[in-house]
Amino acid sequence: MNLRHTLSISLLAGAALVLPACGVTSSTSADSSTSGSKRPQVVVTSPVLGTVVRTVMGDAGDVRVLMPNGSDPHEWSPSARDIQAVLNADLVVENGLGLESGLQDPIKEAKAKGVDVFTVTDHITVRKVKAGEGAEADDPDQAPGADDPHLWMDPLTMKQWVQAFVPALTKAGIEGSANISKVEADLDALNTEVAGILDRVPAERRRLVTGHESLGYLAERYHYQLVGAVVPSLTSQGEPSARELADLTTKIKAAQVPAIFTEIGTPKATAEAIGKDTGTKVVELSTHTLPADGSYRTFMLDIANTIAGALR
Amino acid sequence: LTWWISPFTDNPFLLRALLAGLLVALSCAIAGTFVVLRGLAFLGDALAHGILPGVAGALLLGAPGLLGAAVGAVAMIAGVNLLTSRSRLSSDSAIGLLFVGMLALGVVIVSQSSSFTGDVVGILFGEILGASWRDLGQQLVALAVIAALARVFARPFLLLSFDPEQADVAGWPSRRYQLVMLVMVAIAVIMSFQTVGTLLVFGMLLAPAGAGALLAHRLSAMMAWAAVIGSVSVYLGLLLSFHLDVAGSASIVVVAVAMFFVIFTGQALLGRPTRRPPRDLPLEPAVAS
Repeated sequence: MNLRHTLSISLLAGAALVLPACGVTSSTSADSSTSGSKRPQVVVTSPVLGTVVRTVMGDAGDVRVLMPNGSDPHEWSPSARDIQAVLNADLVVENGLGLESGLQDPIKEAKAKGVDVFTVTDHITVRKVKAGEGAEADDPDQAPGADDPHLWMDPLTMKQWVQAFVPALTKAGIEGSANISKVEADLDALNTEVAGILDRVPAERRRLVTGHESLGYLAERYHYQLVGAVVPSLTSQGEPSARELADLTTKIKAAQVPAIFTEIGTPKATAEAIGKDTGTKVVELSTHTLPADGSYRTFMLDIANTIAGALR
Repeated sequence: LTWWISPFTDNPFLLRALLAGLLVALSCAIAGTFVVLRGLAFLGDALAHGILPGVAGALLLGAPGLLGAAVGAVAMIAGVNLLTSRSRLSSDSAIGLLFVGMLALGVVIVSQSSSFTGDVVGILFGEILGASWRDLGQQLVALAVIAALARVFARPFLLLSFDPEQADVAGWPSRRYQLVMLVMVAIAVIMSFQTVGTLLVFGMLLAPAGAGALLAHRLSAMMAWAAVIGSVSVYLGLLLSFHLDVAGSASIVVVAVAMFFVIFTGQALLGRPTRRPPRDLPLEPAVAS
């Protein structure tokens, strides 16, 4: 374990004072405690997965999303009510690969209780971190070869798990397959749209520097190059060292990267300082937050447009 | 030589971090010496964390974080003053009560905003590697104000540190000048948290000044030692952050605390009594500046 990892643990200990209260604001699409009906209850961990689950299921059940929209999943921890929802759900949908680190024990307990748990990253081709992506070489969870949890950055990877999701719904006794062919067609169409936007950027400017290593799936799908990240890690946790920032500065200059994208949890002043030293503009990118209309399509189109607008 | 210097000449952000850190080290050397001598460490810690609700509230309302921090610090100092003067509660109980209360209030405010977490971590741990020229300007102003306060109130602060009763007798009401001293500490904390985080401010208030108190007898010499040790900690901490690839502000605190213990151990091994500054210390008319 390296020192930065240790710091991020002590940081978590400090943040633990602060964070549990955040769960209180969790969005509840339908309050199960007020309705006595036996509508199927599906609990989804992250807002982006939640909106897709809702579209697939239509009116077949109630979907409850645990993480508040706009929160940093890497820092989120569940409230007592979230844990209750997990334990009483008919089906739990989680991202997996460590994104819900605060929910491991409740999900294990729910599984033992017989609750069906659908782990999205079990049903996709998981992207592996490659050498030179700037992730830490001395941390086994981050080094080249590590599994990248940010699957929602690519509509076609989303389509992979959506196909496997319908049998899981059926197994949990939920009739939710009516919309499936439309959802799949929409994801295909979205892929074409996103590709159309991102293809407008000239090849030599398709270079991404982000807050943390969050755009791997997008980069792979649309042929972009990951140059580095302010926090060179798959999570937004931790503080970059002077060495890492110096290396990032060198890489940005060498690759003539046109923009630095900041996200939730990105140390803003640090990103600004790197932007200033390299003469690069700093642009905010909503990689973990749904837009106002709450749809996955708008979410992806916003990201594509922001990237294309900043890099062109 | 390049090992020692080139990280700072090659990377402008690291040079700004070094300058910001040195300014913090100097501010904290002055304020911290009084914190150590007067036994205000717990209150200093409470101030550093008690500003959280102020900062969180300000950011939530879209006001400058600095303003919120100032409001939080004033509330903290006023609360401790009120509780200790109007009740039989001891000051550490009063401080503890307000510390917990303010921190909890901060958490409640933070939970109102779901997109807040990153900023809170920023408040606690700071971003010294992201220091801007504007931050440096703020630090410089803070240092000037702190140095001026220490200079103007040198005499009462000195008496207050070594012999509070004599301060009262000599016509410097200890309660009033303690308040002025607290304002000075609060300025050090408030002006530094944006650059370096409350953790680093608190570490820099205590460790170099504590080492200074071990090494010197006179107030001005303690401050000088604290300034030197603080500055060396900042420099070595950033150098370690570069060469060993570790987090910046934490390395600085680790170096500062390590230096304290090296000095402490060295003195113990050499048989020099490591002592608290005695009350009957021969007071030299040392002027703090």
